[in-house]
Amino acid sequence: MNRSIFNRLMVTLSLLCVWMSAHGETPTELPAYDYRVEQYRSGWNRLVPRYVKLQTGGLMGAVSVGTGWNYGRDHWETDFILGLIPKFSDDHARVSLTLKQNYYPWKVQLGNSPFTFEPLSCSFFVNVIMDRDYWVSQLDKYPNGYYWFSTRVRMNLGLGQRWTLRIPESRRKFHRSVSFYYEFSTCDMYVTSAVTNRYISFWDILRLSLGVKFQIL
Amino acid sequence: MARMRIVYLPKNRCRNVVWLLLLLTITSCNLLESSPYDARVTGDTGINARNVARIEKALDGKSSFRFAFISDTQRWYDETEAFVAHLNSRDDVDFVLHGGDVSDFGVTEEFLWQRDILNELKVPYVVLLGNHDVLGNGVQVYRRVFGEENFSFMAGDVKFICLNTNALEFDYSNPIPDFSFIKAQLKDDNPAYRRTIYAMHVAPGDEQFNNNVADVFHLYVKLSPGILCGLYGHGHTFAEADKFGDGIIYYETPCIGKRFYLMFTINAEGYSYEPVYF
Repeated sequence: MNRSIFNRLMVTLSLLCVWMSAHGETPTELPAYDYRVEQYRSGWNRLVPRYVKLQTGGLMGAVSVGTGWNYGRDHWETDFILGLIPKFSDDHARVSLTLKQNYYPWKVQLGNSPFTFEPLSCSFFVNVIMDRDYWVSQLDKYPNGYYWFSTRVRMNLGLGQRWTLRIPESRRKFHRSVSFYYEFSTCDMYVTSAVTNRYISFWDILRLSLGVKFQIL
Repeated sequence: MARMRIVYLPKNRCRNVVWLLLLLTITSCNLLESSPYDARVTGDTGINARNVARIEKALDGKSSFRFAFISDTQRWYDETEAFVAHLNSRDDVDFVLHGGDVSDFGVTEEFLWQRDILNELKVPYVVLLGNHDVLGNGVQVYRRVFGEENFSFMAGDVKFICLNTNALEFDYSNPIPDFSFIKAQLKDDNPAYRRTIYAMHVAPGDEQFNNNVADVFHLYVKLSPGILCGLYGHGHTFAEADKFGDGIIYYETPCIGKRFYLMFTINAEGYSYEPVYF
């Protein structure tokens, strides 16, 4: 099984390399080698993360740091978030990783101000607790079908809004813009509990995240 | 006519107060949750110890009493709530014994939701540790909300020995069942201690039990002063079995989703039980 995952990864990576080296405008008068190196570099440049996010809550850590890519006319965004789960009643703090896909259907310019407003953000994210006490699927020691769920991997959905302040070029130091956002989200386990019980209300399973995004590129 | 006086706070101080209030509301309702397994316990804790004290005080010197035995209430919040309403409408029950599995996923919020429902009971209740309660960091949350996973209490002249028997969850790295705990219980020289009931989440013979020592475990059960019976849950159905062929009966109470439980009546002669539908 590990071998097949490895094979798939290699195929994906080589396809990515081919795509990156083939992508771009028509050849200029550059020598073929220089042209290809240029294409190669610009391909890799696309992979440079474009922003940094600082965030709290939302089932992604009490304090979390994210980075990622915006694309598709800034309608789409893919985050990679590292979060800290404090100790509380557990005997140790833990770290979680989140892969998050966001979609912003609309962007509204607020008058003549430097602010834009995105009235809706929709997101789907997968969160993984990096700790040995949690498993992706039940361990071999259990009989078949003993636990049907994963304690390590959470599937989450979120809805929110975002305000973005454009920094004028003359005053830019490192960032093009700063955004402030909030999002209400919930996870698979909470939804499972709520849909089968009247006792658990819609509001009981909502969690909030607050964050700041610094757009670098 | 009295004139209204408006006190203006200095601007930055006012802003600080607003921020502080906002921060307080957000943190107090746990909206900004870091993980479903955050182990952040808000509200009531140490329930078993407090309720054990209530049971021991109320039944001190008695040899007859009645208790409801429920188990496996995980993700059956509505049914658990219905059970609590039903039990509160009776006034002939002294306490409730919960056989474990208050949580399904081991998620922190599940322990708190169940606690808040069960706290509505008029009579005291105690909760054992179930295998689902151990998942993730559930056992740490269980300890904080309910208490130690092995505990005992006196109800009149009967000692209830409540044990963690979820051996499979602990990879044999912890002594489960904990014989040193059982031995210490049997050495108890309390003159009121005449009879014994064992309560556990998983019975001997189940795949979750450490069956290598099932016979040894039962030997201790048999050695216990005035042994009455064994109680367990886990299987989600009702069962009654003389598991070791020596007349000591183990009773399984169904999950709360079946909407019935076992009501045990203890008197000087012994015990009896009946299934109660709600």
